This record gives sequence, structure tokens and C-alpha cells, in this order.
Amino acid sequence: MPAKLVVDRLSHHYPDEYTGEDVHALDQVSLSVEDGEFSAVVGPSGCGKTTLLNILAGLLPHTEGSVQVDGREVQGPGPDRGVVFQEHAILPWRTVARNIGHGLEIQRLPRREREQKVQEFIDLVGLSGFEERYPHELSGGMKQRCALARTLCANPVVMLMDEPFAAVDAQTRITLQEELNRIAIATRKTILFITHNVDEAAFLGDRCFIFSRRPGKLKATVKINVPREQRIWKDLLSEKAYTDPRDEILRLVREEVFDDEE
Amino acid sequence: MSVLQTASIGLQKRFGRQRLRKILLGSIPFVVLLVMWQMNTAMEWLPPVYIPPIASIWEAIYTLSEGCADAGAVLSMQYECLFTNHILSSLGRVGLSLVIGIPSGIALGVLAGMSRRFAHALEPVGVFANAISGIAWVPLAIVWFGTGWLTTLFILLNTVFWLIFFNTLLGVRGVPRVYENSVMTMGGGRWAIISQVYIPGALPSIVTGVRMSMGFGWRALIAAEMIGGDSGLGFMIFVSAAEYKIEEVFLGVLVIAIMWMITDRLLLIPLEKWTIQRWGMVWRPD
Ligand SMILES: Nc1ncnc2c1ncn2[C@@H]1O[C@H](COP(=O)(O)OP(=O)(O)OP(=O)(O)O)[C@@H](O)[C@H]1O
Ligand SMILES: [Mg+2]
Repeated sequence: MPAKLVVDRLSHHYPDEYTGEDVHALDQVSLSVEDGEFSAVVGPSGCGKTTLLNILAGLLPHTEGSVQVDGREVQGPGPDRGVVFQEHAILPWRTVARNIGHGLEIQRLPRREREQKVQEFIDLVGLSGFEERYPHELSGGMKQRCALARTLCANPVVMLMDEPFAAVDAQTRITLQEELNRIAIATRKTILFITHNVDEAAFLGDRCFIFSRRPGKLKATVKINVPREQRIWKDLLSEKAYTDPRDEILRLVREEVFDDEE
Repeated sequence: MSVLQTASIGLQKRFGRQRLRKILLGSIPFVVLLVMWQMNTAMEWLPPVYIPPIASIWEAIYTLSEGCADAGAVLSMQYECLFTNHILSSLGRVGLSLVIGIPSGIALGVLAGMSRRFAHALEPVGVFANAISGIAWVPLAIVWFGTGWLTTLFILLNTVFWLIFFNTLLGVRGVPRVYENSVMTMGGGRWAIISQVYIPGALPSIVTGVRMSMGFGWRALIAAEMIGGDSGLGFMIFVSAAEYKIEEVFLGVLVIAIMWMITDRLLLIPLEKWTIQRWGMVWRPD
């Protein structure tokens, strides 16, 4: 079976209207993610992670290289690829319930089925009791859960997540990471998860892609062989199957950062 | 407890302390004005030709409605019901201009906000039209449409449409891109983006546009009615002044101000409260 998500020699340049100098964001990136695999992407700030995600989502057209989802070349955004954005992207003018059901509304699912599904995901991410609240009444972590539930509820084939937990406090982040792991077990979704945080990448990923500084190149790939069911923070911290790949990722990321200072 | 205290506590319970205080404070200048006005009549500082007594303004309503039989006659705008006819014809034009101006202003504003090409085509003419909007059009409108309701409607629409258009345009441009992107990644098409992202996202700006256009629109209407109208409150003021019926002039001015306050308080502020404030999209000082 071919991989769910295939990126082949993808490069990207942003034109600059003012200086005339292009920004070279991605350079010959090739990677693939298998069906049901959880892949993490780490790399220094500005190395092109969000650019990669936008291209995969179809929000940014690509000109060099190819990007395929389920064997089809990406040509624009579509409901097969759900995105959790780096910024808060839930709509302020919709209640939590209406935000979470938005994808199903667009898919024209009958109201009754939709409400049932929405309730299911509200419970899953622990937002019960906040159905009729508006996003400005939620905490940062709750907003991010709402965004996560919205993407999950639309039932995409592939989930693309851009540092979804970066803006929440450490305690909430740990909870959300364990929740996301549970969800990954339950739904068996193919996930591409971007993060700055090495611990997070090793905790969540089956495989971790490490990017170099800009222009972003795929520098290395590290596998993490911990069964999903065993991924609970308090048990994992001293587990060699977790700490070894984590230290390896850390070393690779560090190289990039120290290169920067020379 | 005295009757006054009981009444005061009752009122406080009904409206809330803060709001009551606000209403009381806001009414102080009006009360002062009314007292001064009444004192002027009593002391005869300025003759009634300049400042008519309050009672005569009340009487003017009756004079202007003489022969007007009942509510049915008012609603069918029979000739005898002069006073209400003027109000209704001003109101009707405001209503008509909003019914035409708001949807078309929003529609073209959204188009221009989302498409560069549309914006390039419409913005210059908008700036051009805005510069001469208002009463500067009146002479030309009279040449085109003669005196009457078409002229005043034209003046009003010209004000309402461009204000709503520009405010919608700016509102749409200010909607964060990520909202649009998130709807696109859920499979939303152009129409979903317009109705679920652009219009609600631009609503704070659109509401501002409606408020501004009501404010400017009223003023333009009154001016247009004075010069180029054949009915309406502006026309009534103008004709009454020419006939030295000073109490009718005062009455007209008062009605204009009161109607504006009613629309602002009862229509526009609640609209704001139930939409953009509910969504946490405006900054509130308290
Ligand atoms: N719309 C754009 N126009 C021009 N340059 C851009 C644009 N978006 C990103 N860039 C540039 O491309 C490079 C990669 O940006 P990108 O947002 O993909 O980085 P990132 O890896 O997601 O960074 P971070 O971890 O800080 O989110 C950066 O140098 C950035 O300045
Ligand atoms: Mg980024």
C-alpha cells in the first residue's frame, strides 16, 4: 500500500515585492507518512514548517516538486485534509458547538446527526458545559481543544497540526498531549504534527522529521518505537525507548541552533 | 418609609443602580434647558417670536393635525394629517434608502473587499463620490429629478450607500486570513466564506457604517428636503420659517432629534450588543 502522504523534492520560494530578493523557504524536501502514522516535524523557527503545512493543506500553491495525498496531487484545500492552525482559528461569531459542527454543516449532514456527532467530540475534548459559549469566553487551552475537536469532527483522512499546543501553559499542554494520544489510538488517523518542542515530538510521534535552518531541508528522520498505549508521561520519563530517540532529536536540533551562532 | 423612598427602591430594582444613575445624569442637561426655557417664557427675556413658549409647541402639533380624523387617517396619510405626514415621509425615505443602501452597499463592499480587481474598479469612483456626497448634490439632483421625493431619496442613498460600501470593504479586508483558510480546509466554497467569514467578520465595521450613514443620512435628508423636497420634516421647518411659525420650526427640530435618538438607542445599540459585543469583538471600557 502506498503512503498516505508523499512529498517529493518539494521546494518553495516566497517572492519579495519590496527588495526583489526571494525568500527560499523549502529546499528539495522529500518525505512520506504511512496510513495511520503519527509523524512529528521539528526544526528551528523560520525553517519552513508552516510553509510545508500550507502546501499540504492546499492553501499555498506549490511550483517545484510534488505533493500527494492518497495518491492524488494536491491542487487546493479540501475536507480530506483537516488543519489545526498555529494561531487560534475558530470563528469568534460561532458558539463552541457551532464551531465544532462547522465542517459537518459544510458537508450538509442532517441536523440531528450533526448534533449527535458534535456532542461526542465536545465530550471527547472535555468541553461539556461550554457548548453555547463563544470563543472569547474560553481560555487559551480550551480554544485549542475546540479547534482540535472542530478538525476531528469533520473526519478528515489526514490531520495537519501546526504547533497547536505552543500557546498553552505546561500543565495544560501535558493534558492535551495525552488526550491527543488517546484520540490517535481511537481514530487511527494519519497525522502530521509540527512542533518546536522536542519532548512533545518524541512523546507523540511514531517518526520525527528534523528540519535544518532556512532554507528548510529534511536533515534526519528518527523513529520512536513506543507503543501508543504506553505513552503516558509519568511512565515514559525514564523509559529508554523514549529517552534515547528524544536525546537524538535534541542533539540534531541543537546542531542547527549552534550553527546559527557561529 | 416614605412613598418617594419606596418608589426609588422600586426603580432601582427594576433598572439597576448603574443604569438608573446613567439615565439620571444624562437627563440633567435636558432638565436645565427645559427649566431655562420655561423661565424665559415667564420672565419674558426673549420675545416669543424668537423663543416660543413650550405650550405653544404642543399646540402646534394640534394645529398641524387639524382635521385629521383618526389613526386610520394618519396611516393612509390623508392630506389633513400634516404633522404625521411629514414625519412619515421623512421616515419612509430613510427606511427606503436603508432597504436599498444596506444590502447593495454590503454586497459591493464584500466583492471589493475580496477581489482586487473589483476594488481597483470601484474604489476611485467611491472616493470621488464620497467627496461630493451630501448636500452638494442637491442642485444637480433638482435639475435631474425636479423637487420631490426622488431628489431627496437620491441624496440620502448617495450618503448611505458609499458609507456602507467603504465600511464593509475595510471590514472584509481586516478579517484575519486564518478564518478564511480554516473554512476552506473544511471544504467550504466561496459562498460559505462570504456568508460565514466575511460578513460576520466585517460586521463591527458594517454596524459602524450603518450608524454613520444614519447620522449623516438624517442630516443630508433634512437639508435636501429644505431645498429640493416637497414634504418631510426638513420641508416643514423651511416652510414654517418662511411663514414665521416659529413654534412649528421648533417642533420640527425637536422631532428630528428625538427620532434620531430613538433609532440609535432602540435599534443600533441593541444590534451592536447582540452581535459584536456577544462575540467579544469590540473593546469595552467597563
Ligand atoms: N507569506 C510570506 N511571504 C514571504 N515570506 C514568508 C511568508 N511566509 C513565510 N515566509 C518566510 O518563509 C520562511 C519560513 O516561514 P514559516 O512560516 O514556514 O516558518 P516556520 O518554520 O513555520 O517558523 P515558526 O516555527 O516560527 O512558526 C520564513 O523565513 C518566513 O520569513
Ligand atoms: Mg510556523
